Amino acid sequence: MQKLQGIAVSPGVVIGEALVMDNEGFRIPRRFVTRDTVEDELERLQAAIDAASRQIEHHREAVSQELGKQYGAIFEAHLQMLQDSRLRSELEEMIRQRHYSPEYAVSRTLRRYAQVFERLESSYLAERANDIFDIEKRLLRHLLGRRREGISHLSSPVLVLAHNLTPSETANLDRRFVRGFVTEVGGPGGHTAIVAEALEIPAVVGTGPFLTDVSGGDQVIIDGDKGLVILQPDEETLARYQHEVEEIRTLAVRLESLRDLPAETADGVRLQLLGNIEFPYEVDHCVDRGADGVGLYRTEFLYLGSESEPTEEVHFQAYSQVVRAMGDRPVTIRTFDLGADKVPHLPAPEDERNPFLGLRSIRLALRNLPLFRTQLRAALRASALGNLRVMFPLISTLLELRQAKMVLADVMEDLEEHGVEFNRNLDIGMMVEVPAAVMMIDRFLEEVDFLSIGTNDLIQYTLAVDRSNKDVVGLYNAADPAILKLIATTIDAAERASVPVNLCGQMSGSPTYTMLLLGLGLRRFSVTPSVIPEIKNVCRHVTTEQCRAVAARAMTMENARDIKSYLKEELKKRLPEMGE
Amino acid sequence: MCQSKITRKVIITNSEGLHARAATLVAEMVRRFEARVKLAKDCEGVEGTDVLQILSLGAAQGEQLMLEATGEDAERVLDALIDLFASNFAENGENSEEAENQP
Repeated sequence: MQKLQGIAVSPGVVIGEALVMDNEGFRIPRRFVTRDTVEDELERLQAAIDAASRQIEHHREAVSQELGKQYGAIFEAHLQMLQDSRLRSELEEMIRQRHYSPEYAVSRTLRRYAQVFERLESSYLAERANDIFDIEKRLLRHLLGRRREGISHLSSPVLVLAHNLTPSETANLDRRFVRGFVTEVGGPGGHTAIVAEALEIPAVVGTGPFLTDVSGGDQVIIDGDKGLVILQPDEETLARYQHEVEEIRTLAVRLESLRDLPAETADGVRLQLLGNIEFPYEVDHCVDRGADGVGLYRTEFLYLGSESEPTEEVHFQAYSQVVRAMGDRPVTIRTFDLGADKVPHLPAPEDERNPFLGLRSIRLALRNLPLFRTQLRAALRASALGNLRVMFPLISTLLELRQAKMVLADVMEDLEEHGVEFNRNLDIGMMVEVPAAVMMIDRFLEEVDFLSIGTNDLIQYTLAVDRSNKDVVGLYNAADPAILKLIATTIDAAERASVPVNLCGQMSGSPTYTMLLLGLGLRRFSVTPSVIPEIKNVCRHVTTEQCRAVAARAMTMENARDIKSYLKEELKKRLPEMGE
Repeated sequence: MCQSKITRKVIITNSEGLHARAATLVAEMVRRFEARVKLAKDCEGVEGTDVLQILSLGAAQGEQLMLEATGEDAERVLDALIDLFASNFAENGENSEEAENQP
């Protein structure tokens, strides 16, 4: 048994079979073979080398005929590398002496050569490392046969363990069978976290290196509540977790009964509980939980999941699916919110030493108008189909907001000229996630139809903390009095201006903060769909008066730790079973 | 079999160094003769038929290689290799850069 502590990014507990992935998104096979199968394994290796050689020869012939002999030459080189006598003896030694599986031996040996190449001074020769990776892939494909797959095709439930997962891997994974994620790197708010939340499966990230200690097929427990990963658990641990899984299931069934009850406080104040989504299919999760709408529809995966820039039609299909499914309930689309480094089809940023303070989100959108306009056109077209609202992220100055609104108005005019239907009066809002926006909130309120407080970024920018940096992550705390003050200021100002305000950061999905936020006057919570029943349950057990008292008391406290433990105590008083 | 060992030095002159296709040509050339050839840069010596090892030498433009041959054709194989290096590995006047960059 081995325990790893990482960062809990998606709640829940799951017990299952490990699927271990390499850096390129392919499964790493089992590491060792038994002594008596060594000869068979050597034969398997030979067969794979022969098959790969035949395939390369075939490529060489085809390419030579089609394009000319010189183009086939690289395949000749691959063929010869594969026949390298020292490589052969190295592979054989690993299988025979160290009992490595042929897959593992191939991976290890060829990667070592690739490293040698990468270190060469001549950049031209260093690039040959790619040839090595190509050969490695080819051999593995033959060794594993049909088993060599990423996570887009699976046949049984698995827990995916990886160094890191790329957005396209996570976007294209087989949703039916992935039951949990663990990644060695990463932090909260990364795409692994977002996808895990979307799939409503437990995930732990940032565990540090461990993949060499685990083999495909090993039993693994992912505790997404505590951020724990347990490899090959002992019987006692396993029994304990099986019990926990059962309890979670029972609680979920009980909360499900809340679905058709209104979201309101014990004293009858009606609230809006909205869902945060990333993928169109999540709209079903919202409907299932009786959400009052979609409070945050992140659109980033449209850009990350594919190699080319998404067309207007791709945007439109996604948006219209969500809008139609929600009927007359509001769907709030957040426009492009990525850094230039994340978008393959934009030029690489030149001076991005500090991406969180750099060219990202609305700033990037305003510099890439064709990309921005494509998205806005699609959103406007979808607005004809239901109750769609547009929200601009990372607004830090009035000028930015006005520019974004101008682009939107311009696109509207364009659509009007072409006789395309859309809702001329759709609500336009902004994210409040930069402290500067809070300082200027009265001015912003004159120019928007709604606000949405994004606590994740607001906390990061206010406390100057990178929450994926484990040395300072302790400072990242939603309960910090400075954060509460900013939230209170925003809610008060919005109330005075009669502009609806929503809170869509992770804070709103944590029951710990529900009473506090209600007490500060928040009436719209946008949360991961899976926690809607839990938050609704808290709301239905408390009165606004109680909440105001809790908030007032919390606001007098000096530090995050005291505030958080006070809030937990208060929650436990009203709902004993929710105390963590 | 004649066991006398012959060595020659050769300087890499082409801009890309001993690249993948060049290494392939070297190995192909060596196989045509009754001889065993080793290539060495500094002190490492590798088999003249092992393309992966030849590439691992990382022989760049301007660097010197030691060619060492034993066997019946030792003399002739080295002559042929020296010619091959001198031709910058160009094959029938084809542009080697293009061939390498566009597999």
